[in-house]
Amino acid sequence: MPIEFKKQKAVLRGAVTVEEAEALLEWLQNKPAAKADLSACSHLHTANLQVLMAARPGISSWPKNTELRAWLETALKPALGGSLDGDDNSRS
Amino acid sequence: MTPSPMSPLLEQFLSEAREFLQGIGQKLMQLEDSPGDPILLNELFRLLHTLKGNSGLFAFPEMTRVLHAGEDLLVQVRTGDIAFTQELADRLLDAMDFVGLLCDEIESGESADTPQAASHASQAVVLAEALRALMPINPAAGDISANPQSYSVGDEAATHDALISSLGSAHQPAGSRTAFVPLAEIPEAVRMEVFRQSQDGEPLHWVAFTPDAGCFFQGDDPFHAARQTPGVKWGRIVAREAFPALVDLDTYHCVLDFHLLSNASPQELAEHYRYVPDQVRIVAIDPLWLIIPFERSSGNSTECVIGGGLSPNTGADEFIADALPLLWAGDVAALKQNAQHLLVLSANDSWLASGLRWLLLLLDCIPDNHRALGLLIESLGSFTPPDWLAGISSRGQGHVGDSDTARILPEPAHSEPLNGSRPLCEQETVVLEQIFSVQRQILELEDRPAWQAGRLKAVARVLTNGFKAAGDVLAGNEVEAALENALADGESTPLLEWLDANKNRLTASSMPGAVSGPVARASTRSDSSTLREAGANADNAGLTDAPSQEHGLAPAPLDDGPKFGRRAEDIASPKSLKVDQVKIDRLMNLIGEMVVAKNALPYLAQRAENQFGNRELAREIKTQYSIINRISDEMQDSIMQVRMMAVSFVFQRFPRLARDISRKLGKKVQLVLEGEETAADKNIIEALADPLIHIVRNSLDHGLETPEVRAASGKPATGTLTIRALQEADRVLIEIIDDGKGIDPALMKRKAYEKGVIDEATLERISDHDAVNLIFAAGFSTAETISDLSGRGVGMDVVRSAVQKVNGTVQVESVVGKGTSVRISLPLSMAVTQVMIVESDGQLFGVPMDHVLETVRIPRSSVHTIKRSQTAVLRDRVVPLKALNTLLGLLAEPKANADDELAVLLVQANGEELGIVVDGFRETMGTIQKPLGGVLSGLSAYSGSALMGDGSVLMVLNVKEIV
Repeated sequence: MPIEFKKQKAVLRGAVTVEEAEALLEWLQNKPAAKADLSACSHLHTANLQVLMAARPGISSWPKNTELRAWLETALKPALGGSLDGDDNSRS
Repeated sequence: MTPSPMSPLLEQFLSEAREFLQGIGQKLMQLEDSPGDPILLNELFRLLHTLKGNSGLFAFPEMTRVLHAGEDLLVQVRTGDIAFTQELADRLLDAMDFVGLLCDEIESGESADTPQAASHASQAVVLAEALRALMPINPAAGDISANPQSYSVGDEAATHDALISSLGSAHQPAGSRTAFVPLAEIPEAVRMEVFRQSQDGEPLHWVAFTPDAGCFFQGDDPFHAARQTPGVKWGRIVAREAFPALVDLDTYHCVLDFHLLSNASPQELAEHYRYVPDQVRIVAIDPLWLIIPFERSSGNSTECVIGGGLSPNTGADEFIADALPLLWAGDVAALKQNAQHLLVLSANDSWLASGLRWLLLLLDCIPDNHRALGLLIESLGSFTPPDWLAGISSRGQGHVGDSDTARILPEPAHSEPLNGSRPLCEQETVVLEQIFSVQRQILELEDRPAWQAGRLKAVARVLTNGFKAAGDVLAGNEVEAALENALADGESTPLLEWLDANKNRLTASSMPGAVSGPVARASTRSDSSTLREAGANADNAGLTDAPSQEHGLAPAPLDDGPKFGRRAEDIASPKSLKVDQVKIDRLMNLIGEMVVAKNALPYLAQRAENQFGNRELAREIKTQYSIINRISDEMQDSIMQVRMMAVSFVFQRFPRLARDISRKLGKKVQLVLEGEETAADKNIIEALADPLIHIVRNSLDHGLETPEVRAASGKPATGTLTIRALQEADRVLIEIIDDGKGIDPALMKRKAYEKGVIDEATLERISDHDAVNLIFAAGFSTAETISDLSGRGVGMDVVRSAVQKVNGTVQVESVVGKGTSVRISLPLSMAVTQVMIVESDGQLFGVPMDHVLETVRIPRSSVHTIKRSQTAVLRDRVVPLKALNTLLGLLAEPKANADDELAVLLVQANGEELGIVVDGFRETMGTIQKPLGGVLSGLSAYSGSALMGDGSVLMVLNVKEIV
């Protein structure tokens, strides 16, 4: 599903495909203070993931999909606070 | 880019390479049906080996690399170390496709600097690795693959084992690699949970997936693959390198790695990552290694400190002092209580707290594993993580740990009993090996001299004595038996097979580790020259080429014949010439001109008689003409024969096509090919290739149902696709018959109507047979989804026009639920068309005789006019009449003759009879019809032009188009 670019927020919904990556990168370059809303996101192609990891926008909402959230938190959670005690990372 | 001129050597290599590749593909598919067949394996190996050797002559490292891997793989298959599986066949076929691609590029003259060259190099590596991965023992990696878990042995498991143990160098022995597996970075809660779950005995693996930087371009999404990994319990995403500034970021360059923990079996993991085996590292993990107490320092640092000592270790020493006796006494409850008490008192982030949490977990899960518990307890005080590598199993008490299995030695391949005499020393073994390899070469010679029997006996004697010297007397009996078979057959094959099967027998019964392979190869270099001399005395000149196969170098001079450095192939016919197509085409043109030129003679005779009044001369010219006519007809026939090609040229692609498509679609199909030797003109065969492929694809894609559907309707699960070619009079018939679901006329009618191909009136009236033939309408497809194979609706009409272009016809018949058959009828040769010459409005035209039914003269009075068309009654049939002048847009009216009769040419077009009114008929003649070229090629009214005897050009009408 294509990313919806709002004023200061990029909303990723459903499965975000590889074709979106360039657009996302460009948008994030122009909006350094923007945030990403991942709540409705079910998957994002690695290219998009890379863009997010490089740009490190704030994450306004994490994915509802807990498994996806766990993966993404290892890459995108901000450094402060630490994720190594894993309070919300356990998964079965 | 202009292609550099190719040396004759390179050209020859390329044309031979294609033959080899074809043969290799064929053998691979035959082997799929009979995997153990040693003859097929041998032939396959020889083809591959020769191709590899030949490729080494040129600078094609990618090709040679892949071929080399394939050859090594086949060596092991031949000796029975690896089973021939479908996976193996797939990888080899992939590799061969790659080689074919390289050959195409070489031929078209691509230079080595193109960007494609770089991708070829990496692709070659991938393919080669994929092939090598199938080999059980990977000498290149150097380490011993260990399977900490034991798997049940069975046929299926055997293949899987080969796969897993072949992730070989990646599947590290248990102990040595933990340093590379950063388990400590997994959050503690996750580790604890995984540990708890792992107690049910499922294997645990760490998977490190490092996708290729360019993988996006192959349509891969590694994150998706990582998420989909079976049994994934935890995962993380790591950037391989620091990200550049956003403006410099290349979104299509993958720099991410994925690490995960999975409790899937190694087979499942290998299966999941089978396309990228060299990008994945799978390490078996003992759950104990998850137990890593750590301490998180307070403050902003996010690093976990293993074995820190930042917080006071209150009460730890006391605890340990109490705990150990409790442990040995087996008092779990008390131990638990103590631990819980201390935990409450300890700072949450401390080393101690973490260790205590683990202790409690272990007490729940593995209370009997005193050694593990003891180690953990001690570590509480020592501030160093327990050393799990010191041989502790989490499954038992003091059992030898999994890590110990890392030192398992490979089983000896053979364990032949020594027969009492002293074993050979290494040097002797080497010499014996050399002797045996020479024997092998002798056996492989393909000539059949009168002394064949003697040769076989000599070889057998050498083998027997050789093994006797090595202490293996039993071998002699076997050799004896093989020799008898060989002599009975008159073939060396039984002996050869025995020798192949017992290649390693010598090394097994003597010192282990004697390396036979490279030595044998080196020795044959010197031996081949002697063999060649021996061979030169043989009658068969082709023999001289035989032994130089080993490395593809051809010391034999090129004038030995057009094929060099190869044994006689079993595919092509033995006494054939390779001739350039251009030369044949030239011959064709020349004979065409000859036919036309000779046709001038009757005219000449006529002129001699009429114009010059010389009847004598006319007669003599006619006599000579008949002689020349006969000869040129024969010549034309012969040249046509040269151009005749067997349809097998096209058919040979089908087994592979059917296999690939049916696998892709999950359908089972049995391909039956009949009449492959049926021959037709080369142009026609080539024109056939694409249409046939399209029809086959249609049958497989849309016609044949999946096995489930077929079973449900009572059909055998495996569909049958029959492709048959036969010759009938002067035509070739090709039939493609499937027993699939057939074409539904009702569906066709509806779809055609929806797409506007037919109107409502036609929808009512159209017969079922015609409805089925609607598939030939352009833009038509009833497929629900367009696959990349077919369904775009541009297929069958293209097929039909391609067939019609060579004067063929195509028909479809189908019964719903039973199947479909497509029948193509083609002329045997394209060249000579009989035409009848007619005259109209002062011009001459040709009408192909295939369409002419008869010529009649009809009195003008019997022409009736119905509405605006003219008709006549002929033998109780009403035949519509059309004037040729009208059809061609000429203004003149057809002329009647003296009796007021009109000349009508009765033709058949599009299945109907029609009368074409012309001014007059002339003779019929055989012509070489050439299609109209250049600006004229758009004229659909004419199918071509021909040269008349007097040099004028005859336009040949395309009857179907003009009526």
